Amino acid sequence: MNSIVDPKKGAASDAAAVVSAPFFARGELIEGNDAVHRSRDLGVNFATPRINLNRIVHPRTEVPPLLNVPLSEIIDFLVETGQRITAQSNPHLQDCIDRMCATHILPRAVLENQIKGAAGYLDKRLLNTVVQRNFANPKALDEWVPYQDYTGRRSFVRAFAPRLVHVLPGNSPGVAVKSIAQGAMVKAVNLFKMSSSDPFTTVAILRTMADIDPNHAIVKSMSAVYWRGGDDSVEQVLYRPQYFDKIVAWGGGDAINNVVKYLGPGLQLVSFDPKTSISMVGSRAFASGETLDIAADLASADVMVLNQEACVASRFIYVEGDQAQVDRFSERLHKRIVERAAASGDARPLDMDLREQIETMMMMDDDYRVWGKADGRGCVIRSDEPVEFHPINKTANVVCVPSLDEAVRYINVATQTVGFYPFDRMAEYRDRLASGGAQRIVRLGEAGPSTIGNPHDAMYPLHRFVHWMAHEDGCAS
Amino acid sequence: MGEAVERLTRLVEAHDRYDIPTADLRDAQIGAMNERFQERVGQIKLVAHRAREAGITEVSSHEEVVKLLLPHTAYKSYPENWLAQKRWDRLSKWLDTVSTHRVPVDKVSQADEVDEWIGKLAENGFFVSCSSGTTGKSAMLVASRDDMEWCKKEAVATYSWGSGVKPAQDRRMFGMAATAHVPRNLATGEAYTAALQDPNYERFAYPVPAITVGCLTQMVVLRKAIADGTAKPADIAAFEKISAARQKAVDDAVGITAQAVVEARHSKIHVSGLWAGLYNVAKAVREMGYSAKDFHPENSIYVGGGLKRAKLPDDYREFVYETFNIQPERNYQNYSMQELHSGMPRCRVGGRYHVPPWVVPLILDKEGNNLLPMIDGEYEGRAAFFDLSLDGRWGGVISGDKISIDFSPCACGSKGPSIRDNIVRYADLEGDDKIGCAGTVDAYVRGVA
Repeated sequence: MNSIVDPKKGAASDAAAVVSAPFFARGELIEGNDAVHRSRDLGVNFATPRINLNRIVHPRTEVPPLLNVPLSEIIDFLVETGQRITAQSNPHLQDCIDRMCATHILPRAVLENQIKGAAGYLDKRLLNTVVQRNFANPKALDEWVPYQDYTGRRSFVRAFAPRLVHVLPGNSPGVAVKSIAQGAMVKAVNLFKMSSSDPFTTVAILRTMADIDPNHAIVKSMSAVYWRGGDDSVEQVLYRPQYFDKIVAWGGGDAINNVVKYLGPGLQLVSFDPKTSISMVGSRAFASGETLDIAADLASADVMVLNQEACVASRFIYVEGDQAQVDRFSERLHKRIVERAAASGDARPLDMDLREQIETMMMMDDDYRVWGKADGRGCVIRSDEPVEFHPINKTANVVCVPSLDEAVRYINVATQTVGFYPFDRMAEYRDRLASGGAQRIVRLGEAGPSTIGNPHDAMYPLHRFVHWMAHEDGCAS
Repeated sequence: MGEAVERLTRLVEAHDRYDIPTADLRDAQIGAMNERFQERVGQIKLVAHRAREAGITEVSSHEEVVKLLLPHTAYKSYPENWLAQKRWDRLSKWLDTVSTHRVPVDKVSQADEVDEWIGKLAENGFFVSCSSGTTGKSAMLVASRDDMEWCKKEAVATYSWGSGVKPAQDRRMFGMAATAHVPRNLATGEAYTAALQDPNYERFAYPVPAITVGCLTQMVVLRKAIADGTAKPADIAAFEKISAARQKAVDDAVGITAQAVVEARHSKIHVSGLWAGLYNVAKAVREMGYSAKDFHPENSIYVGGGLKRAKLPDDYREFVYETFNIQPERNYQNYSMQELHSGMPRCRVGGRYHVPPWVVPLILDKEGNNLLPMIDGEYEGRAAFFDLSLDGRWGGVISGDKISIDFSPCACGSKGPSIRDNIVRYADLEGDDKIGCAGTVDAYVRGVA
């Protein structure tokens, strides 16, 4: 459950477990333990201040604080933020990781690497590249760019600073860093709605930024608070075009359905949809014992991205071969997943439902074969069509197909990344994968990295964030 | 059936069956669970697997039996694709993993539709009941002929205790909802009719076709096809049309039912159904100008299930009772679930659900992994039960319900365990801000009517 509970009612054991999650409101840290909430995954309580709604909405009568701050200055500020995030001496981040260990399902080392890795996004060349790839003319962020059409009509166009609510996901703290950077680069007024499994990282980063310069426009443009997703007493008030232009939301199901009901003229949704990633392994993997080991290792790397909590992590591996071959692949894949899981110190047990379904597969031994157990240490299920449950928590479903052409029909609108082996067959498949709904095709083993500035979720997000404003200036006589 | 199981299940018609303190039952219940385990471990594959994993060869404590419980989801662990692909061979093999008696796969696999498959299974003594999976999968629960006989006996006995109504074939029965046409409902419906219905009248036939397993799974199959991207627009349109026709039949039934019940108002009647249907008929009866004063003061009611997402006014219960002149003491409520073959009737004094001696309550932590220590007074946790009456499948099941149980005597005087009338599903309590970038195609499937 994830609801406000009366802090006075908390039993003694609960009271000891409550961690504080302060807010950040347009440059100011807000502390307080007015409301106690429960984290989504671990059921741990955390305390937050009351939300002062007026303080987190920037009036439309005032232009956004970052509007006339040059992009180069914003990027410099972000770069310095990145350096401070990785510094050992940063008390906000250390404290944040300590607190997060209480509310998050991922192990500490994975969380630490996540945040440090995300800080790598705050690199000057990288940020400049992102802007250049998102905007045909990035100058539109800094100034009114003149343009004249072929009839002689003149205008100026500006990628005007928007007002954004970012509904952050809970599975990956790195998204906080990225969202802050993106919100800053489009010069937005940003409100970050944190998730119950990570109500800490965003504020820790914003505090780090405030340490650099508490009065900088970038700091004054950022707020981060927590409320329970779907809480009408907050969303019914805030989700209005008078206050925000766009809701940038991650996820699907209830999380999106709650947001969707508030959309209308003037309030748009930019959604980062929930995704499933897969792998396709061609018959050449069976050319030799060595190629088989390579393919299984690469596939295991993709399965284990963020210990399979991320959308890019592979869950279904379509392998071109006969059952005996595919079983050989599955066995090696299982071995590598178990090794990677053990190395990360992650042995979280599987949910009861998932465990039950895997155990059923073990009973149906003609149609399925299972390597490992449903014990959270890594498990591979081989079948002749994809299983219907969502493989998660170090679980891979290897699907035996006579040809990769057969695997194409399993691509759907939720398919994000397709890791492919061998690499030279990728071009042959990419059109059909795109037509089916997929968004990325990558070399097997490289689900994680992407070319800097590439589209995400089939769009250039920064381009979607801004408020495109035209100043018509008549005809040239 | 072992001696201890026999002794406990024989209590089904005992007058004082809810009045036996847990302490007095404990040894017999553990002995009975062990009897069931020894019989079934070689018969039910999934139970054998559990026992092997847990290293259990004998049940001598509640802690041990907890390791052998199956979650309610075990009965929906088959791939839905098999329904769409009509893979009755595979479904039969799956059913066999949870069945006590060997499913004759070859004899039942030649079928065009799911209803035909279910029919063939019944011919061979395998009675499969299916839960309504409006948004999710349907559970498929296999039972034996003995189970069907038990359900008939148990349902009427439990009803009689909970409602105070003595079966005397002196009522006219008005079912006000389309029933699911599954073996267990047919068996209990038959038993209720034999017990309550005045043989001088025909039982009222609710004018909406019964819902077969095929109807239940049709939506599930379509939903899956939408997710897979294989559903054509015309398929969705065709389904919407069937749904609309069905809804029209349900709407038209209100007036017909109201008319019939008004005509029968001078007889003693028994109404049953779901709240939404009962409310609509009650409203129509009021609009015709009739209310409590026009109906017999000994009328009775049985309402199955909760609101099922129906939106009704706050006083819908009172409105229904007052329309049909149902006295509070005859308002029967029962706590049970598809996975069990025994109910827990609510007493009329304490307002609590009473657990019979052949059902062993096991209260687990939220995750359903560990038994909570039994304490004095009321405490809450995830409900699990071992229904010793079950023959065709395993009796130990972990539910999705959060309950508050008390092993001390109830205000009604019964000394057996009882459950507070505040049962909720854990699934309904979960937070709804579960957001991650990883997700499934389910999030892309808009519901069909």
